[in-house]
Amino acid sequence: MPRRSPFAFIVILAVVTIAGCERRGGCTGQYCGTLVNAAVAEPPTLLPPSTDNVVAGDVGEQLFLKLADVGMSVNTIGDEDFQPLLAQRWEWDGPLTLVFHLDPRARWQDGQPVTAADVEFTFNAYTDSTLGSPFRPKLRRIASVTQRDASTAVFRFHDRYPEMFYDAVYHMRILPAHLLRSVPRDQWKTAPFGRQPIGDGPYRFVGWQAAQSLELGADSTFFLGRPAIRRLIWRFTPNLQVAVQQVIADQADVREQLVTPDNVARARAAPQLAVYPFRGSIYTSLTFNLRANGDTSKPHPIFADRDVRRALTMAVDRASLVKSTLDGLGKVPPGPMSSLLGIWDPEIRQLPYDTAQAARILNAHGWRDHDGDGIRDKNGQPLAFHILVPTTSVLRRQYARLLQEQFRAIGVQADIDELEFSVVNERLGSGKFDTSILSRANDPSPGSGITQIWTRAGFGGSNFGRYSNAEFERLVDLAIAAPTRERARALWRAAMATINADAPGIFLYSLENVAAVHKRFDNVQIRPDSWAALLRTWRIPPDRLIDRDRVER
Amino acid sequence: MWLVRRLVASVAIIFAVVTFVFILIHVAPGKACMGEPGESADPVECARRAREFALERPLPEQYRRYLVALAQGDFGYSFSLHRPVREALADTIPFTLQLAGAALLLDFLLGLGLGIYQAGRVNRLPDLIIGNVTLFIYSLPTFWLALLLLLVFGEKLGWFPVGGASDPIFCPVVDSAYCVFDRLWHLALPAATLGLVGAAGTARFQRAAMLEVASQDYVRTARAKGVPERRVVLRHQLRNALLSFITRFGLAFPFLLTGAVLIETVFAWPGMGRLAFDAILTRDYALVTATALIASVVVVAGNLLADVLLGIADPRLRVRSGVDAESIAA
Repeated sequence: MPRRSPFAFIVILAVVTIAGCERRGGCTGQYCGTLVNAAVAEPPTLLPPSTDNVVAGDVGEQLFLKLADVGMSVNTIGDEDFQPLLAQRWEWDGPLTLVFHLDPRARWQDGQPVTAADVEFTFNAYTDSTLGSPFRPKLRRIASVTQRDASTAVFRFHDRYPEMFYDAVYHMRILPAHLLRSVPRDQWKTAPFGRQPIGDGPYRFVGWQAAQSLELGADSTFFLGRPAIRRLIWRFTPNLQVAVQQVIADQADVREQLVTPDNVARARAAPQLAVYPFRGSIYTSLTFNLRANGDTSKPHPIFADRDVRRALTMAVDRASLVKSTLDGLGKVPPGPMSSLLGIWDPEIRQLPYDTAQAARILNAHGWRDHDGDGIRDKNGQPLAFHILVPTTSVLRRQYARLLQEQFRAIGVQADIDELEFSVVNERLGSGKFDTSILSRANDPSPGSGITQIWTRAGFGGSNFGRYSNAEFERLVDLAIAAPTRERARALWRAAMATINADAPGIFLYSLENVAAVHKRFDNVQIRPDSWAALLRTWRIPPDRLIDRDRVER
Repeated sequence: MWLVRRLVASVAIIFAVVTFVFILIHVAPGKACMGEPGESADPVECARRAREFALERPLPEQYRRYLVALAQGDFGYSFSLHRPVREALADTIPFTLQLAGAALLLDFLLGLGLGIYQAGRVNRLPDLIIGNVTLFIYSLPTFWLALLLLLVFGEKLGWFPVGGASDPIFCPVVDSAYCVFDRLWHLALPAATLGLVGAAGTARFQRAAMLEVASQDYVRTARAKGVPERRVVLRHQLRNALLSFITRFGLAFPFLLTGAVLIETVFAWPGMGRLAFDAILTRDYALVTATALIASVVVVAGNLLADVLLGIADPRLRVRSGVDAESIAA
């Protein structure tokens, strides 16, 4: 018997291996299609009340329905702009009672009907302090949820206000009571259901490879219409640049936020990609600490003075900073808000960019360069402070340097403290900072975010600079309670003009989002508050299907 | 006795590392909570987490609790992942082993081959070229090389995948020959990055060791007796130069583990290094301490294995157990 060479064996092995590498495929028609999202975070759990992780929210949109949802306008006042989902219809039963009638076709993916008992159970879970849901504070104005019959849920409120409907439907995804009732609430965060959920949405859970990917499959029996995209895959990467590279290299289909002008330019240059701008939900400010650095019982020696804060604000050319750093990906906000909010109005009164006026104010308050070192001083104390910024944010670090230059031009010294994110958080929480460049996210309603960050209600919480102004808070309260949209807008305008005049921070930029999506997708609708909310309506025409759309597993 | 003494010392080293990391991560500034990208963390959530995980208790008490749990095989609970640390480690360690294994293979096969090849052509053109190329690669920062390879071979040329351990469309789980091939394809760039830098160092190390042995009497004698050159190199030179190779094997483990943290983050490789990196950023104390424990076990075990191999290769080292074996070999 002739002796076989090892080389021949390797060749045979390679041939067999490659033969086994044939990709399985074959799906054709309008219900094929795979969408791969390059995600930069992995959710800790998919149980909706247990996390406010962004990706968990995106996945949750596909698995668990709300009673109704906001429309493309993202108007949160009244109920006229809301779209029915689990609730087929609703009516007001008096000023404080809202009645939802569930769609009788709605089913959990194990075949059980969705009932009003599920709605009642969901509210009880979201508001249970044992669970500690991050959404719990947003439901505080709802007194109770009960079931009138199997398909009718009744919401009762403590008081009447314009965003009652929004509060009732936006924060809660209805949960299957029959599957979760037996799970103790203090174990929900680790419950197996959170890693293998059963929902009632347009997609079913298929699989989750930790730190790699998560897959959903279209539910062909979904009562509001079969989704056109058959598979949704979230591919987890630890950083934005890899996620963007995956989309550009055609190894993923969607990156919903490109974040930097450079990434947008690269995405535009990729022949297979289309870009979709949409309103962003994040704004960034240089927040002044109005209390002494490290001692909240004393006023800050510089920033307690309203006129000095105003002068520093007037010394910053926010428009040119946005232009030079964000190149169309951002706007100067007319107050502490992102462009997501319906109250955004460029006509709101703001402090102008006026370095001459800024210098006059500082001179008038005794801040002059007495010793000729280029830095203003008063009573021997230089007009100097620190800017706290996290190392994780390239954009904010860049802004810190630009602000440093602009302050230096009017004789103000700003030193930059670039620190790790968790250290920044610790310093903010304990008041150990002078100023910090902070980014804040808005949900569609201005009420909750502005109250928590810029009023007394946020002391010890998110109002790190401890700003408070009785007139501003009165206007905010009135705006939140305003009976009509027009009245609310007028009151918000007045409130924003008040806070702008007070200058508790310099409102630097509001980021505009740009999504990169593979061109083969049609009917791409991106709702500003949630890019994935309308994924079930996206589709791929049969003639544009590619290899990965057809694959069967 | 020598082995027993080394084992006891190894356990003591691991205990010291775990204690050091535990204290360091707890006294380091920063809060055990994290906001979404671009946002600040919610102070209410920070406070709740501190209560839930007893982070406000005195450090000695936390440490005592940790040791008791560890003695029972409980690594604790990861508050950033919402799951037991044991499960997170079980998911990620196989990926780090795959990456480190492939890199180690590339490191030693390529490094050894190049080192031997260079030693046979000392100061000739191939030696000079390889020497300069390996020096160039060795001097490159690993993360920079990783980004460069990703950009060129992943994004621009499209020859390799941009990050990840498998194609989530065709191979979410490795269940076919195609998926094995897919895993190797995904492994190529991260393993090459880690392995090439290691191989460059190994080649230089091996070349020097071969040249040192080449001047020994027994090598000259072998040549004088007319032993074929290939046999002289493989039997006489290489065998005796292997002591330094084994030493380098022991030293490779810390390099591979620290490299894995960078490489796994850049290439989105779902291994323990990436897990540790995220855990440090989120101040996930249980996860940080557990990954440090695993890493120290691997490093200590690697060095112990190298010492045992050295003892086998050169029994004199076992006899002189009071002397540092690595210094003798080097």
